[in-house]
Amino acid sequence: MYKALPNVSPIAAIVSVLLSTSTLAQTIEGVVLNQKGEGIAGAHIEVEGTSSKIKTDRRGKFVITDLQAGNTELHFSAQGFAHQHRDLTLGANERKHVNITLLRSPIEVVDVVATPIHMSVMESAAPVSVISGDSLRRQQAATLGDSLEKIAGVNTNFHANVASTPIIRGLSGPRVMIAQNGLDTSDVSRVGPDHAVATEASTARQIEVLRGPATLFYGSGAVGGVVNVVDERVPTDNTTRGEWSLGTTPVNSRNQASFNITTGISDIALYADGHWRETGDYKVPVSPEAEHNEQNDNHQFIVKNSAEEAKGVTLGSSYLLENGYVGASIELFNRQYGIPGHSHGNEGIPVFADLEQSRIQVQGEFELDNTWISKVNLRGGMTHYEHAELENNEVGTLFENDTHELKVDLLHSPFLHWNGGVSVHLKHSEIAAQGEEAFTPPSEAKTLALALMEEKHFDKVLVQVGARIERVSLTADNVLLPDIDAHDHNESTSQNHDQHGHSDENTITRVFSVDQTFTPVTFSAGLVWDYLPGYNLGLSISRSERAPTASELLSFGPHIGTGSYEVGAMFAIHNDEEHAHFGLTDSVINLETANNIDLTFRKTQGDFGFVLNAFYNRIDNYYYQSATGLFAESGHDHSHAHSAELSAEPSAEPSSDHDSHSDELPIYLFHTDDVILHGFEAQFGWQVTDTIKATLFSDFVRARRQDGGNLPRTPPLRFGSQFSYEDTQLSAHIDVTRYQNQSRTAAEESTTDGYTLVDAVIAYQLAISDQDISIYLKGENLTDTEARVHSSFLKDIAPRPGRRLSLGIRGYF
Amino acid sequence: MKHPFSLNLIAVTVGTLLLSGCGDAETNIVEKAPIETPQNDHNHDHHDHGDEGFTIESLGRLAVLSGESAELSMVNLDNRAVIDSFSLMHESNSLTASADYRFAVLTSRSQDYVGFIDGGLWREDHVAHLHDYEQAPSMSPFELAGSQPTHVVKHEGQMAIFYDGDAESNTPASVQVITDTNIANEVSVLPSIMYSINMHGVAEPRGEYLLATLRRDDAENTSVNKILPDQVGVFHQHNGEYELEHTLDVTCPNLHGAAQNKTYVAFGCGDGVLIAHQHGNSFDAEKIANIESLGDLRIGNLYGHEHSTSFFGIASAHGGSQSILLHVAPQTKSMTQLEWQPTSRVVSYGFSYDGKYFLVLESTGVLSMLAAHQHDNEVHWEVERTLAVSEQDTSAMPEGMRFSMTVAQNGPYAYVADPIANHVLEIHLDDLEVEGHIELSFSPSALSWLGIAKPHQHD
Repeated sequence: MYKALPNVSPIAAIVSVLLSTSTLAQTIEGVVLNQKGEGIAGAHIEVEGTSSKIKTDRRGKFVITDLQAGNTELHFSAQGFAHQHRDLTLGANERKHVNITLLRSPIEVVDVVATPIHMSVMESAAPVSVISGDSLRRQQAATLGDSLEKIAGVNTNFHANVASTPIIRGLSGPRVMIAQNGLDTSDVSRVGPDHAVATEASTARQIEVLRGPATLFYGSGAVGGVVNVVDERVPTDNTTRGEWSLGTTPVNSRNQASFNITTGISDIALYADGHWRETGDYKVPVSPEAEHNEQNDNHQFIVKNSAEEAKGVTLGSSYLLENGYVGASIELFNRQYGIPGHSHGNEGIPVFADLEQSRIQVQGEFELDNTWISKVNLRGGMTHYEHAELENNEVGTLFENDTHELKVDLLHSPFLHWNGGVSVHLKHSEIAAQGEEAFTPPSEAKTLALALMEEKHFDKVLVQVGARIERVSLTADNVLLPDIDAHDHNESTSQNHDQHGHSDENTITRVFSVDQTFTPVTFSAGLVWDYLPGYNLGLSISRSERAPTASELLSFGPHIGTGSYEVGAMFAIHNDEEHAHFGLTDSVINLETANNIDLTFRKTQGDFGFVLNAFYNRIDNYYYQSATGLFAESGHDHSHAHSAELSAEPSAEPSSDHDSHSDELPIYLFHTDDVILHGFEAQFGWQVTDTIKATLFSDFVRARRQDGGNLPRTPPLRFGSQFSYEDTQLSAHIDVTRYQNQSRTAAEESTTDGYTLVDAVIAYQLAISDQDISIYLKGENLTDTEARVHSSFLKDIAPRPGRRLSLGIRGYF
Repeated sequence: MKHPFSLNLIAVTVGTLLLSGCGDAETNIVEKAPIETPQNDHNHDHHDHGDEGFTIESLGRLAVLSGESAELSMVNLDNRAVIDSFSLMHESNSLTASADYRFAVLTSRSQDYVGFIDGGLWREDHVAHLHDYEQAPSMSPFELAGSQPTHVVKHEGQMAIFYDGDAESNTPASVQVITDTNIANEVSVLPSIMYSINMHGVAEPRGEYLLATLRRDDAENTSVNKILPDQVGVFHQHNGEYELEHTLDVTCPNLHGAAQNKTYVAFGCGDGVLIAHQHGNSFDAEKIANIESLGDLRIGNLYGHEHSTSFFGIASAHGGSQSILLHVAPQTKSMTQLEWQPTSRVVSYGFSYDGKYFLVLESTGVLSMLAAHQHDNEVHWEVERTLAVSEQDTSAMPEGMRFSMTVAQNGPYAYVADPIANHVLEIHLDDLEVEGHIELSFSPSALSWLGIAKPHQHD
């Protein structure tokens, strides 16, 4: 099947031969050049509407054969350059020659993988960011939120280095979908800030962030955005390549190692990756808790119980077909970490989380020689997740999530110059929690969705439209409503004690069987207008609906991770006989609806570039928690023998070092309100010389209720800059990020001071045999400043780590 | 920083551009029976504090059938009060408890019906701890249908229902094995055996095995009454279906009655007791022959307890008024007639929850409690105490009624229903004394204890 083609790199030849066996005879050949007229090696050329992907050879040349006669759309991209889109018309048996000049882009442009429409930071109507390659390696941290926090519009809910989820434009939790290769990570990270995300950045190829509603692609759970961690676990080719790294951060006793490799023989491709990391309790420049001085023996401040150990391994293989591939992978993932601040009263018994996940992913892409359907993308996943919270080596709470998911994209052949496709998405999750903190009852969620995404170039205007309809059902057979002694701390003490009584009275727990069906619908329309060469304007409008999650609706119980007693929106407080109790709500359970508009202004090429976004998002029926002013006993009982005395006579004995409310939590009730979020993101890049580059970014979100008042844990205004020097051997990056103070606080929330973080990394590259080896020295928080994260649940007990130096080595082959 | 004014303008645009609601939400909430949790008295055994806060101290509940109407009442033993009553679908019912004592099981042989009432007390093993539930009793919508359900046998969490089938309609016999979890989840596809012929048989569940009777062709069948089987098959469960693995090589003519303990499974035969002994994955069989003193009688009912080495066999002539009580000891392959024998018709037999006592209730209202003693390395059962459960003249017994008894599985209690006085006696077994009465507004015909059984101490 090998044909000798003149002037074509072997890779291009293999790719073009592999792709199609049809007898189409049209050909495009050409060369991709930089501004100086030099060929760009390794530039990617994609034929839109198909899966044809070709790379240029050493001199920038390429040949694409077997094209359909008529109109062909090509997409050119190369690292460090602005992407370019070109429409060409081919006559029968024509062999066309084109020269493409790509202009430099100081803002890195990486395409989002596997969406039916084309998306990147510079080219799509909706805002997108992708980090990959060296910038991903520089920013990767132990937790996902921390890895992404230097992206404009993305903040972390920093949870003492052991867990974090990204906050996108002020939204997080059930509104930001975390995906692994396009499929739900199927963990419980969206339920609590102390639950780590079951993904790993150190073995990822790229991480994609869709800011703003992305329900079109990912469904109801992505109303605030999506983070997709992409790796090559199901390999798409068998070129041998890989990456390994070793690193250490002595001050926090942190050591890490990771590798990934892709290889194969004949039509079999193989993939493996692994990562391992251990970290001790981390050091902070000031006392972690304002009132206490907890220094260790060396008079240093540490955040206790913040150690972590992570390990994971993934194996994958695929069968390479002439028109695509099909493969499967299996991943085993384990993480054990302390949960700082997860203890009660003054007992200080540390709580550990032990998280285990096994994930099977199946992936396939098939290009079809069919009038209607040009390509089929298939993704399927089966995940079993278990997360135990242990104290005294006993399982206190066990969370489980079993998810099965299938996504099929059918991309149609260009139809009246429209490119796009239909996506069918099925998901089934069973989530259970058992034990002391099982605040959400076991539930089963089923999703069936159908989505349509289309795009078309009208001369200088790209139009992208989409719609999605879903059917989400949520069933829970045993929703418990215990008769808790909810009380106000203003009640007189004697009365209070009577209520606490532990007499022989029975308590009644009401039980409900709940069955909910939602039909969220999403519409989205956007356009990108290249009104001047090198500039474009983007507009994106969407209306997205989200089904509330089981924890937002059905919770009832103590959640130590957030330090609150959580009550879902299905319940409401009823007052009778001067005593508050909980019953079913009289309100209707509705979908949350986000109406979002995004404006983007970009300078896409040249030595100076920028991307400016402004957004306005009105969310009706926004589900959120607010304090009720009531308190309930956590029911979390460490003090086996003397617990009876504790609740009966909380303050009778002065010798007791438990204060009267040590085992009580404030009750937070989920309810809905109309909220408005608006803000901006700005990124500027300036390539000063071939080696020196400066980038600046800023982001801001204002999150408020329509009838006044702020939403809690909203990240503050931020400015960041990066200065970099890169030549073939040496690279240096300095990042300075300023977080302003946050004084727009919700009720019962305190203001947080601003701070400036300075990070720097120097790397030296050397080529040893076939490998590129990079040795780096990285310094973080170089000024050793006190940095408390307003968006963190632990801001008052766990600031960011202090100054630390890391040394590491990385190899690419 | 940008002023929100311009953004508000955009908001107006968004608001007008987008049409209002196309999504739809539907909520369906059904309130179920609540869970009652007694306040902890903090006197738990601290050695297993992993269960602390999850286990319930309760005497349990009683399901009591009315002899006057098709009604079942549920009694809370902690306060000796009737907490709910349920109308039953059929007039003639037998009552027993499910394998883990959560459900009252009603079988109506004539109506081909098996129904369940949730007693509301059960235990789940949450691995980290045992979790007890206490809910109001409720009628389960779940029912099983099969031709003539007759013998219901329970062992270690499994209940085997033997449907005799019907010769007239050519309906073959069948067996279904069900657990409490199956009942709770209304699982209708159950591990089962479907025979090709009807029989009055019995099946003993034993882990993944089921020892069930086999009726051969009448020409081969050694039973006098051909509806009675004469062989026992060892069935093994594969993918939810029982498959006949082998047939025990000892025949058992006129097979009726079966029981098992930790080691042996016993079947009553016309000529003795067939004992099956499990060795890992295989069973061997032998027969303990009838002793001479039985004469024409044979053992037609057997009683065993997981932790007792003794079986009790009841020999009586068919429909006979008097029974002979025999001690069957598989270890020594012996069958002996007890020195003590009941003086009148026996209405109920039963082991206490720990297998320590064997209780015999006679139609005259005399309850005898037997306990085992070692003499010359042999186990002898002797009467420890007796109790007259009724002070009234038993001739006042309503027509067709009799005393009935059930034994608690979580402590040393037995409960005797008295249809004359319309009450249930709570009898503490260690001293065989009446501790209390549960007053009823009807005449009880049968009763069964429900609740959370005390786990067996596995040794």
